[in-house]
Amino acid sequence: MKRRRMWMALGLVAIVGALVLLVAGGLRENVVYFLTPTELAARGAEIYDAPLRLGGQVKINTVDWNVDAAELRFVITDGETDVPVLSSGAPPAMFSEGMGVVVEGAYREDGVFRSHNVMVKHSNEYRPPEEGHEAKDLYRSLIIEDGS
Amino acid sequence: MKGATRWLIPLLPVPVLALLAFGLTRSAQVLPSALIGEMAPEFTLQTMEGDSLALSELHGQVIVLNFWASWCIPCREEHPVLARATREYSEGDVRVLGVLYQDDPASAERFMMRYGGDWTTVLDPGSRTAIDFGVYGVPESFFLDTEGKIAHKQIGPLTWSLLRSTVDSLLAASAPGVGS
Amino acid sequence: MTLSTLGYASVIAALLGAVVMAVAGLVGGYRDRPALRDAARRASYFCFFAMSSAMLIMEIALLSHDFSVDYVARVGSRETPAYYTAISLWSSLDGSILFWGWILSGYAAFVAFVRRRGADRLTPFVTATLGIVGIFFFGLLVGPANPFGLVVPAPANGPGPNPLLQNHALMGLHPPLLYLGFVGLSVPFAFAIGALLSGNLEAGWLRDARRWMIAAWAFLSLGIVGGAWWSYEVLGWGGYWAWDPVENASFLPWLTATAFLHSAMVQERRGMLKTWNLSLIICTFLLTLLGTFLTRSGVLDSVHAFTEGVIGPLFLGFIAFVTFTSLLLIVWRSDRLHAKGTLDGVVSRESAFILNNLVFVALTFTVLLGTGFPLIVEAMRSERISVGPPYFNMVATPLALALLFLMGVGPALPWRRMSAERLRRTFWMPTAVGAGVSLVTVALGVRQVYPIITFGLAGFVLATILEEFRKGVSARRRISGGSPVRALLDLFARNGRRYGGYVVHTGIVAIAVALAISGTWKTEREVTLRKGEQVKIAEYTVQFEDVWGREESQRFVVGVTLKTWRGDRYLGEQQPRMNFYQSSQQPIASPAVVTSLTKDLYLTLMAFDSEEREHATIRVIVNPAVAWLWIGGLIVGIGALIAIWPHGRSTYRPELALSLTADLIASPDAEAGPGTDTGATEEEQEQVATRGLEG
Repeated sequence: MKRRRMWMALGLVAIVGALVLLVAGGLRENVVYFLTPTELAARGAEIYDAPLRLGGQVKINTVDWNVDAAELRFVITDGETDVPVLSSGAPPAMFSEGMGVVVEGAYREDGVFRSHNVMVKHSNEYRPPEEGHEAKDLYRSLIIEDGS
Repeated sequence: MKGATRWLIPLLPVPVLALLAFGLTRSAQVLPSALIGEMAPEFTLQTMEGDSLALSELHGQVIVLNFWASWCIPCREEHPVLARATREYSEGDVRVLGVLYQDDPASAERFMMRYGGDWTTVLDPGSRTAIDFGVYGVPESFFLDTEGKIAHKQIGPLTWSLLRSTVDSLLAASAPGVGS
Repeated sequence: MTLSTLGYASVIAALLGAVVMAVAGLVGGYRDRPALRDAARRASYFCFFAMSSAMLIMEIALLSHDFSVDYVARVGSRETPAYYTAISLWSSLDGSILFWGWILSGYAAFVAFVRRRGADRLTPFVTATLGIVGIFFFGLLVGPANPFGLVVPAPANGPGPNPLLQNHALMGLHPPLLYLGFVGLSVPFAFAIGALLSGNLEAGWLRDARRWMIAAWAFLSLGIVGGAWWSYEVLGWGGYWAWDPVENASFLPWLTATAFLHSAMVQERRGMLKTWNLSLIICTFLLTLLGTFLTRSGVLDSVHAFTEGVIGPLFLGFIAFVTFTSLLLIVWRSDRLHAKGTLDGVVSRESAFILNNLVFVALTFTVLLGTGFPLIVEAMRSERISVGPPYFNMVATPLALALLFLMGVGPALPWRRMSAERLRRTFWMPTAVGAGVSLVTVALGVRQVYPIITFGLAGFVLATILEEFRKGVSARRRISGGSPVRALLDLFARNGRRYGGYVVHTGIVAIAVALAISGTWKTEREVTLRKGEQVKIAEYTVQFEDVWGREESQRFVVGVTLKTWRGDRYLGEQQPRMNFYQSSQQPIASPAVVTSLTKDLYLTLMAFDSEEREHATIRVIVNPAVAWLWIGGLIVGIGALIAIWPHGRSTYRPELALSLTADLIASPDAEAGPGTDTGATEEEQEQVATRGLEG
């Protein structure tokens, strides 16, 4: 009976230990930091290539969407610091200059943030219809119907 | 688990509850704003009445800069709070200034007529000022101290207790003889 | 009387009813006063009536566009179709609390009705506990989350519900299921607290609590699978599970509830794990509250979160109250919670269940840690972080595989202990099947470790389940004859709990296999196509035809028309769309999914050329085996239904039980249980086992 108890305790310790290692390792590798451009600049080289989320506004007159290369370039700013972003894939629909975005990806040594996911940041309940009076008119203008 | 010590068991979850309480003190919805403690971005905009107004003209007072729109339902909710602020604080101390966000001036005027209030609202065509302030949606409010620095940012509707405590602390900080 | 006043009055009435439930239940139970116990029961009927009328009034207000009611002014709009207007009841915070409260009152009335006869001491305490939970939720409705506030002057129109929630018909399905599951978990909790209060902690309460737990668990399971389906059909990213805080919030109580369903059997059969079972039930209930708190108070960021902060502190207060009260009750009653049995053999069904519980709790803990980790880091270092899905996948996969293994082992093991010889005889066949499946998988060229293990374990589990059914069916035929099908139905009718459980396990195996396949062999590409251009991905061909726009009452739709083929077979035109809602800056994607039993073709419109209409960017995903997730979910639901289906006739046959008892007394170490299936139902065996223990 005593021996069995000892074995069971040992087994439990081994299982718990493995679990702790798994969890600690998992957390260390998969934590994604959430930074503003200014914080990103302050971190400098230590943050190169780490998985990051960067939040800020899309700076006016910086958006360049290359259809053929499927590359989207723009600059994220928080009013103080600018960070150029290169994103693969199409821009999210209704992506526009001046809007708040969060990009996921990594900051490279060349000073460009490579993003694989651009998320439009919006508060859930307070959403403006686009500028203009009737949102539907605006949406209709998205597609120019032939003969109508 | 004999005797009195077992009665200590219920205290075990206290750290977890404390962590959750901490969670309530901040909002994950808000991106950290780099603007807190900085000078508010300067602007000169047209008021709804057609006059020109520069933010720097108002320095020397505590400013509640409120981004709003007539189509925004929570704005309707916080409207009485702003109205009360204009009643309870004298003009020289505290100024409420609205900035219209992506809205038609005519419907904004109807909104003010319907719900009352005589504070100034400036128009922000192209949302340039909203972008400078990093506004994501409405309502959003910025509290500026007497020197024009952004002291606090509120996302979502203001409540009276929040407005009063923020404004009072800013007034106290700027009162002569205190803090200087 | 306006709808607003009527609705508010109903909610206040429900609150008063809940107070009566709590007070009359507690006093009536404690002092043993039948009149008060009746009052508590009637109050629970009254509560249900009041909440039903509040619900009805809200639905009338929504459907008649009465914008003077605050909630309607916030989520209603004249353009929203009637179906989405009706279900917008749960599209925002106060409406969903109203819905929650209604279901809670329904459960409470149902429990009180089912247990109206008999003068046991447990029922009034159960009603009282549900009353206290009711006071909290109805109190929220009366105070900070009042959906019936009066808006003066009433606006002419409203913004409509959150676009994400009015984009797909499935939104009418999975939230009610989730709520039925979530709220249903308060019933076993009420039984646990009731048992602690009444002081009678023998197994009687546990059996009832477990039955209610199965019902709630089944709803929760269906709700989770339904939510995954919704996410797959609506969100357009090609996946079904993102470890989002809201998803985790529904998954965490599911894990502890599942753990309880297994450990409860150990207590029923062996009188062990009493404190553990109480703790599991209470944790499950707390996790439902915690999940609601985390996702509804803005503490954690999530795509589903409602941004309302007022009720956060109240929820936290209630969580603290429930935690402390429950723990104090357990400590107070700790002298009545000693185990009767001991762990006799390392290789036995109870030890398999205990291991199963440890793994479930470990899984709960790791998911909870990952979900709450951003909060911990911010509290300690004021840094903003998030924990990505890779963490959850990395940690959860090995634990889930361990559970899969135990799922095959546990049911085939007898209670108490097992000889090595018997172990060999029981497991050589399933082990051979499992190893065979793994070998075939490797031979087919699969080199990824997890799928190989998953398939092998799936084979192993299915083999043990089939073997259990074979044994059960042949035993029944020995006793009562008849065809195998008839014997199978007989098994379900007589011992639904056990064989329904096996059906649930089969569904879980289907889900596990589907997860392994779709997680490993997903192909994804994002392409920009010009008119007439084709793209080939796996065996599918997609050809871009046109971009078009269409106006609907509540939205404007932009779509693309794509021709699709699988090999040479034409699959028809597919139209992935983007829906633009008035109240949303961002369009909501509507992917087009061509489902088949083997593979899904999943098409999402990413961007379109609005000027020339010459090109569009499309994400093409080929997702294998996803359909088996939904099928597996359905099997789980059916199995749970079999398990709780009321038995038509009494299954207790004294003569059989007596003869079994005689056997047992003759050889107390006999391996009673499925290993030596005598065709007796589990109930019969249980009665025997209890006698064996007592005698």
